[in-house]
Amino acid sequence: DENGVTQKKFKKFESYKRDNQFPSKVKDLAIVVDEKASTIVLPIMGRPVPFHIQTVKNASKTDEGDFAYLRINFLSPGQGVGRKDDQPFEDPTAHFVRSLTFRSRDVERMDLIAEQITNLRKNAVRREQEKKDLED
Amino acid sequence: MSERKTVEEFNGIYLDLSKQSGKVKFAEAGLAWRPAGGAGGENFALDGQQFTQCQWSRGARGYEVKILLRDSGLIQLDGFEAEEFDRVVKIFRLFYGLNLEHKDHALKGWNWGKGEFGKAELAFSVQNRPAFEIPYSEVSNTNLAGKNEVAVEFSLPAGGNETGTNGHMGGARTKGRKSGAGKDQLVEMRFYIPGTATKRENDDDGE
Repeated sequence: DENGVTQKKFKKFESYKRDNQFPSKVKDLAIVVDEKASTIVLPIMGRPVPFHIQTVKNASKTDEGDFAYLRINFLSPGQGVGRKDDQPFEDPTAHFVRSLTFRSRDVERMDLIAEQITNLRKNAVRREQEKKDLED
Repeated sequence: MSERKTVEEFNGIYLDLSKQSGKVKFAEAGLAWRPAGGAGGENFALDGQQFTQCQWSRGARGYEVKILLRDSGLIQLDGFEAEEFDRVVKIFRLFYGLNLEHKDHALKGWNWGKGEFGKAELAFSVQNRPAFEIPYSEVSNTNLAGKNEVAVEFSLPAGGNETGTNGHMGGARTKGRKSGAGKDQLVEMRFYIPGTATKRENDDDGE
């Protein structure tokens, strides 16, 4: 079938199976880094929205006035980077969330979140590499 | 028919991502919401005739009842308990003749899917389940930021004020302020949208 062809190509990673698995902190309408689930949960219009670390390219923080801005870039086609066998880069109909930018007055917390995301990403890449080494 | 209440009340409910929770009352005529403690002394009220559709799904603060309105607007009521689902179903059926749709959101954590334009909002769906929705009222600007890249900017309270409505109505955010609800406020979102060349080819095939 039309979906099976593209879907079997990428690996299945999944943040949560049930909505009661969200960390309780999501109720603060703030960014939550859930290390156990290798996931960042982002507040979008009152909804907790999970993004698995495998979809994240990087995160960077800049300060401007009273605010810290955190930009999270996701892996998407046309950037010349990223492991494409995890994602449906070849599917001509797929849309991608490419980046999300948040602002906060809590500059220190935004620093911490950027660091947490970077570490989570590093660990995920390391684990992938270890898996690959085992397969070789 | 068994006993039927004329007014149903829920406490701890947030209206349109308000700072403060309050009490919502449903009756056949419509609904009313008031922040806890009655701050501001006003009630938010909405005529039941305005309701066209309603949904139940997981929000950041408990469960959310979203009501789509005849004028293509919508309201969000957050903070319901999972066990209150059956009661809310009955309220919408008996008072407004509407079916409360139980909408499960995508939890996979994928960043690819389909952006779909509905009446009141843009929904991004992953495997046919919405991952998130953006009411059109919250979008301040969109532009083509690059090849296949669309940027969507959100309205935020001026000067970064935490409350979008001068403290009235428990800090509820009516139109164009929802992004300012939390500590971390969504400023911009960028999408990768595949080229239109492929689409045109499909159209030629008789689509």
